[in-house]
Amino acid sequence: MTASTDTGLDGLPPVEPFRPTLRERVSGWAFYIPIVFMVLFFALPMALTVVFSVFERTMFWMEPGFTLLAYENFFFSARLENFLASMGYSLISVVVSFCLGFPIAVFVRKSVPQAAQHRVVLLFILPFMVSEIIRIFALRPVLQRNGLVNETLLSLGLIDEPITALLYTHTGVIIGEVLSFMPFIVFSGFLAMEAVPKYIFEVCDDLGAGPVRRFTDVILPLAAPGIFAGAVFIFVNGIGVALIPNIMGGPGAVNAGLIATQAITALDFPLAMAVSAIMMATLMGLLYVGHKLFDLTKILAPMN
Amino acid sequence: MDDYANIWLHRAKWAYLLLIVATLMSPVFYVMYISFNENGFGAAEYEFTTRWYGLIFSDGQLMAALRWTLGLAVTTTLLTIPMALLAAKFYKATRAKVAVVFLLLAPLFVAPDILSAALLVFFKNVNLSFQWLGDAAGVTFMDSWFRLGFGTTVIGLIIYTIPYAFVVILITMGRYNKEQTEAARACGATGWRAFWDIEFPQIRAGVFSASAFTVILCFNEYTRTSLLKGGFDTFTTVLVSQMLNEGMSEQSYAMSSFVSVIAIALIGGIIVFTLLRSEAAARKAQPVAEPNTAPA
Repeated sequence: MTASTDTGLDGLPPVEPFRPTLRERVSGWAFYIPIVFMVLFFALPMALTVVFSVFERTMFWMEPGFTLLAYENFFFSARLENFLASMGYSLISVVVSFCLGFPIAVFVRKSVPQAAQHRVVLLFILPFMVSEIIRIFALRPVLQRNGLVNETLLSLGLIDEPITALLYTHTGVIIGEVLSFMPFIVFSGFLAMEAVPKYIFEVCDDLGAGPVRRFTDVILPLAAPGIFAGAVFIFVNGIGVALIPNIMGGPGAVNAGLIATQAITALDFPLAMAVSAIMMATLMGLLYVGHKLFDLTKILAPMN
Repeated sequence: MDDYANIWLHRAKWAYLLLIVATLMSPVFYVMYISFNENGFGAAEYEFTTRWYGLIFSDGQLMAALRWTLGLAVTTTLLTIPMALLAAKFYKATRAKVAVVFLLLAPLFVAPDILSAALLVFFKNVNLSFQWLGDAAGVTFMDSWFRLGFGTTVIGLIIYTIPYAFVVILITMGRYNKEQTEAARACGATGWRAFWDIEFPQIRAGVFSASAFTVILCFNEYTRTSLLKGGFDTFTTVLVSQMLNEGMSEQSYAMSSFVSVIAIALIGGIIVFTLLRSEAAARKAQPVAEPNTAPA
């Protein structure tokens, strides 16, 4: 009698260790389909942006060759200045989003009953159920000179003249970015906080830590991977989404996304690819630094 | 200090949370408000009407665009959900978790304009390569494989939606105990049967939620669709074209509002349904877990 067939349990039929059949082994390859798909249609096109960015521009397309003209067009023009400026504004959006959104993630994790926590976080998905273009476009009448915000502030006597900086300025772009991307800091912050046992808060309270100390010494370090992931999302999208500067910004509001779409409209495909390659390098650099500092896989710890 | 020690502080935090949600939703409410105005957008005088809702189905351009969007959404969902399911199962089983999660979530971190530009140029080059191969081989059937159109848009939408579907399904799978599958397999069930009869009923809510998200995301997506779609119009491309050119029609506001309400109701329904279900499960489990506290 072999070990595999001997149960020794009250005459129950012997338990055979299961061995996958040939059919099952073949169908096991199906699990690689999404990976192959993403490599072919996401990783490969993104990697090829570098190759296409050094191709030579033709009248309507491009042809294989090697030229750094697209990079010259980017780095030795106002585009670089615009790109750096949009990085600055995106950084402000990250800070504002963090200040407004992260306390919500902490509150939900700390004070909302466990069974309702996911549902409360899902509330922040609702705005994404409506087209981004509609949401951004509908902000115009809210923020314009005679819009809802100015009318309300004037009627309350809080201002004497309408605030004109809310729209068609860099402030307008920041408002658009915050309203579009802030939920992500709530999601990723909450995911990171989910890995933090709830008793940690009670321990802090018992040991007499004040709110500031608890936040800086306990919450912030534990939730750092989630905060970083949310911040990268906001930052990268802030410098890459053309729609927001297009609708909310003035003539001077330009970012990488807008440069890329303008390049495509002008049929300058190598320039569009150079901008994409620069954005990819920025993203990779940020994620590498973040992973080295915080181990970003910790965000998905509850799902492992 | 404990939140509950000061009930007003606790209430203030809830009020802040709801205020932020309301602020994020305010543009949506504004569109709904406008859609009921007889005089349309920007009019000095507001006059309530439901007329625009009656007219949306007679707007030929909008209805044609809606049909294309529906086709894209259904196709994308039918492809994305099985892929996200396979990816989530692969993620649970593999040791290379960092690589898998990076590959599947990275599209979230690439700005849509940048990804769309990269895909546009990629597809055009691949299409040219296939045409060249076809010419060399004297065949024509490969010429349209990667021509911009329905197929390329679906690929772009799958890349956009798969991270969301993957995370939603993965969260649901986190609660599933894989020993149940092993027990089923040890009892002689095939891999498929163990999945369909044991695992799927437990993750069904996540799969349905992911499907709902995918459909809604496809309806609202603009950037990738507009660059990869080729010759047809979708719901959002029509809206954007109207906004940037002659201004949105009143029917478009009504249609946007209509789609928004359906989307919000769908997600709201899922939230309420899962809440009621988890409460019912908790009520059912309580007498088993704590028999002494059960009513006589």
